[in-house]
Amino acid sequence: MARIEKIQYKPISVRDLLVEMKDLSELMIDLAYSAALFNSRPLAEEVIEMERRVDNLAYQLDMSAMVAARDAKDAESLVAVSVVAGAADKISDAAGDIAGIVLREIGVHPVVRQAFEQVEEHLTRVEIQKGSVWANKTLRDLELAPKMGVDIIAIHRDKDFIINPAKDELILEGDFVIARGAPIGVEEFERLAGRTARATRS
Amino acid sequence: MSVMESFKDVVDMLAELKDTSELMMDLAYSSILLNSKDLAQEVERLEEYVDDLHTKFELLVLTRCISPAESKDYLGLIRLGVITEKIADAAMQIAGVVLRGLEPHPVLKLAIREAGETVVHAQVSVKSPLVGKTLREAQVHEETGMWVLCIKRGDKWVRPKSDAVIEAGDHLIASGYAEGAEDLRRLTDAEKKSKKK
Repeated sequence: MARIEKIQYKPISVRDLLVEMKDLSELMIDLAYSAALFNSRPLAEEVIEMERRVDNLAYQLDMSAMVAARDAKDAESLVAVSVVAGAADKISDAAGDIAGIVLREIGVHPVVRQAFEQVEEHLTRVEIQKGSVWANKTLRDLELAPKMGVDIIAIHRDKDFIINPAKDELILEGDFVIARGAPIGVEEFERLAGRTARATRS
Repeated sequence: MSVMESFKDVVDMLAELKDTSELMMDLAYSSILLNSKDLAQEVERLEEYVDDLHTKFELLVLTRCISPAESKDYLGLIRLGVITEKIADAAMQIAGVVLRGLEPHPVLKLAIREAGETVVHAQVSVKSPLVGKTLREAQVHEETGMWVLCIKRGDKWVRPKSDAVIEAGDHLIASGYAEGAEDLRRLTDAEKKSKKK
């Protein structure tokens, strides 16, 4: 089902590629778990899209590393980079597998929701109601990360997702906001955001 | 819910698998940043633990009497277990770089530091407000947004429980957004005194 793109060498630094692969792969895991918990096909599709991106980045990174190696010593030090990038790629594949559970309608057993109530990092999805105090504020205004240790990993607006929104992104009425954080922070977040659609009360 | 009661062990195991696999990722990246064989070995130990736990988890799920109507839900459950195991393998792959004694290219550390979520390492000074508090009381996550992953005390790595007491001289390994690193150092150093860069 995956379209495979043609790959060409581009002069991108190994460092930039690795930063992006690491960030994307970690974000994808939480997005994929969210897709499973909130049974969201569109979010699962986003994850699959990101998985393709990471696959391509892995190729780019290996090519950049090969070009950078001039001698045996370089090869030894660069293989470590390639191995770590490979691990990030594996993580992103794992996220893709979670998304696959949703897309193939395999189903998520109710105990999964129960287990997700027990884990260290909680995930939540909240709808921004009409007249919410949060509407038309930027993420920076809300100061969620410094105040509650919660961060917003995606905003679902109409049919689109804003993945890993920037600090100056505005929250609008009708948005579904997906966030992660420590249990206490997440509870506070849900309380402040108003009506909740939590994983447990599906 | 009484139905859920009978699933308690399955729930506990899945939660433990998920948490451990993610902890391993952070520890594995830390092992590279700190060039620490100890931490890498801890990842190796945890990988074996996850393998065992995952096997127990699968066996436990398979002992359920599953009706055809439930089979898809159970398949999802089993797959999620497989995924945590994959993540643990990926972490082991990263730790393997350190265990093999490879001298990673400097860009590797730079990239790990530069990524949105990073791992930091801070020593608790004698005057730090954290000294003598349990991890629960210290509320490091609430204060800084950083998760304490591991405490190094002398030569020992301690996986922190919430009632572990923080001592002066402890090294805290924590992960989170880079902005939180500064806040963590402020907590571990006393009153911002002589901030070491």
